[in-house]
Amino acid sequence: MNVPHISIYYFGAISLVLIGLYGVLVKKNLMKILISLSIMETGVNLLLISIGYVSGKSAPILSEGIGPTQAVDPIPQALVLTAIVIGVATTAMALSAAIIIYEKYGTLNVEEIRRLRG
Amino acid sequence: MNEIPIILFTPLLAGVLAWLINLRGVRELIGVIGAATPLALLAKLYPSVVDNPNNPITYQLSAGGFQVTFKLGTLNWYFAAIASLVGLAMAFGMISTSKSGYDWLFALMSYTGVLGVFLSWDFISFFLLWELMTFASFMMVLKRNRHESLKYFVLSVIGAYSMLLAIALIYAKTGALDFDAIRQALYMDAMLGAIGRGETALIFVLFLTAFGVKAGAWPLHVWAPGAYSETDQSYTTFFSGALSKAGTYGILLLYILMGAKLYYALGTFHGHITFAYIIAWIGAITVVVASFLAVLQEDIRKLFAYSSVGQVGYILLAFGLGTGLGFAGGLFHVLSHAVFKGLFWLVTAAIILQTGKTEFKDFGGLAEKMPYTLAMALIAVLSLAGIPPMAGFASKWLIYEAAIQAHMPLVAGAIFLGSALAFAYVVRFLYAVWFGQRPSDLEDVKEAPLPLLIAMTILAIPNVVFGIAPGLVTNYLNKALGGNVVSGNYYKLVTQTGTYNALLVAIALVMGIAIAGLVYLYGAKTRKIPVTNTYQSGNPVTKEFNLSIRKNFYLPLAEALAFWLKYSFDRFYERVAQLSEDFADALREGFYNGNVQAYSWYLAIILLILALWGVL
Repeated sequence: MNVPHISIYYFGAISLVLIGLYGVLVKKNLMKILISLSIMETGVNLLLISIGYVSGKSAPILSEGIGPTQAVDPIPQALVLTAIVIGVATTAMALSAAIIIYEKYGTLNVEEIRRLRG
Repeated sequence: MNEIPIILFTPLLAGVLAWLINLRGVRELIGVIGAATPLALLAKLYPSVVDNPNNPITYQLSAGGFQVTFKLGTLNWYFAAIASLVGLAMAFGMISTSKSGYDWLFALMSYTGVLGVFLSWDFISFFLLWELMTFASFMMVLKRNRHESLKYFVLSVIGAYSMLLAIALIYAKTGALDFDAIRQALYMDAMLGAIGRGETALIFVLFLTAFGVKAGAWPLHVWAPGAYSETDQSYTTFFSGALSKAGTYGILLLYILMGAKLYYALGTFHGHITFAYIIAWIGAITVVVASFLAVLQEDIRKLFAYSSVGQVGYILLAFGLGTGLGFAGGLFHVLSHAVFKGLFWLVTAAIILQTGKTEFKDFGGLAEKMPYTLAMALIAVLSLAGIPPMAGFASKWLIYEAAIQAHMPLVAGAIFLGSALAFAYVVRFLYAVWFGQRPSDLEDVKEAPLPLLIAMTILAIPNVVFGIAPGLVTNYLNKALGGNVVSGNYYKLVTQTGTYNALLVAIALVMGIAIAGLVYLYGAKTRKIPVTNTYQSGNPVTKEFNLSIRKNFYLPLAEALAFWLKYSFDRFYERVAQLSEDFADALREGFYNGNVQAYSWYLAIILLILALWGVL
């Protein structure tokens, strides 16, 4: 199996994911959980981009002097473009849900919302 | 033209037709014809079965790539004939007691299932028809009582899976599903020992579970009291009289298929064949436990249900003795239990139909109102209690002889105890229902309707005939078992330890009754008093004396047994069911708690585990 070379990019991206995960698991405030989700998302996107990076190559736009062999992997970039859009959409929806929840229960603490439920 | 498919499938066809047409009169006619056809054909085939014991009638069917075999040998014929006799009586009884096509469909469907189990000669058809029988009887109970049907269903499923596993094991080891091939393969393997001791024991235990459930053997008997009482009582005639025999037939099959293998694999225990010894003890415990519980019941249906469990215990016990005489006694008891317990359930059906009551405390003095049913009940009581000259005596006598000859004093003691208890509960039934003071709301009870009386007569005749001439049965059994197990002539049974002359006893009994009748007619000073006047000499009954035969009659016995009655398998199973339900509830409420953060934790933990494991 090909173990990827652990560079600073990987380390940073995975750290971001873990920080986000920590927030999702431990924080009680709904807004903080949403922020953590966003951080996680950023981490994932960074990780995807850094997987596609080839050392010393330039952006994958075909132009003067840059052919397919001189460019970094374009597929993760397309993936991340999609993922960013999805992430923004889910965040927007989650935020509107949070607004509704706050209007209904008067709190953003997940424990209390659970207790008030039903 | 081969008769076997007609025998097998006429009841089912008739049941479907009766259900589809479902017109009063037509439905009953079709049902009775469907129930009578197997009996008529089996009677017609009797000579050829008896004349060629080594060359049974065979019918083969190729379905879905499987070869399915049915055989009508001496042993199969015996069981099938008993089932169809009881089936015919059931059909007559159902004319009176059942008003729906649903009942006819499933009653006759289970009839086909039982016949199929008795005639199958390979495990495919055996298992399929076994399940058909279970399904149909389950549907009969389901219509009346969901809780009891569920109990029956769960235990039947346990039995069915055990059987399926055992069949799979045998198939994996021998590659055969046909009984002849399995028998041969296992017989050879008895010497070779290719199938290990543990596997043989496992197959034995699995089969024992499967057949024990159906026979109502302790401790798997808990479904029987509920299921027998919560269904059409005419159907219970068949349910308890014939369907429960499928389990005992299975035990017999165990001997036929793997007797030698089990003997060599498991060896002997204190001079008895180990596996047979286990069966004998299960039978003995069933007899004692079920008879004690039967004595303590306050409901007629429950009493006979427990009694039925106990009497099937006798059959298991007799088969467990493993001697020729034991088989003869057990097989004879299959017949006599089918006819006397069938008769009992028909009598119960008549009583419940005419009075609408089921508990002893509501009965009394019915003898004047239903004299013919009383006569039938008397025959059944004499037969069950084992009083000559009824079929029940001859069969129990053979079992006693066999137990004594097999040198199993404790097992023999269990039978004696069971018989004494049987006497105690039938006497109570006889007195509490038929004699004594009659409650005022039973004043306008009428005799049972004619079809029910015909049904009772159908089952009463064999009780008397095979009681006075037990040789008719034992001669046939000698042929079926292939040896002169019980000698004697039609009226006399001779074994190594004793002789029983049924005719002599019958004549003595009739003469005794005649003398007593003469004394009663001419000698005794009799005064005719109404039955409502005999209770406590006309005095009002105070509370301390209210230990009448109708209510709590065996209360002292219950108090003496209080220690043992604390332990009940019914309650044990219910507790196990409750515990597993609670456990599942706790699991669900603990983990599926509606907290999104908890689910995130599960996800994170699972990812961590997978990562540590090296999957990610």
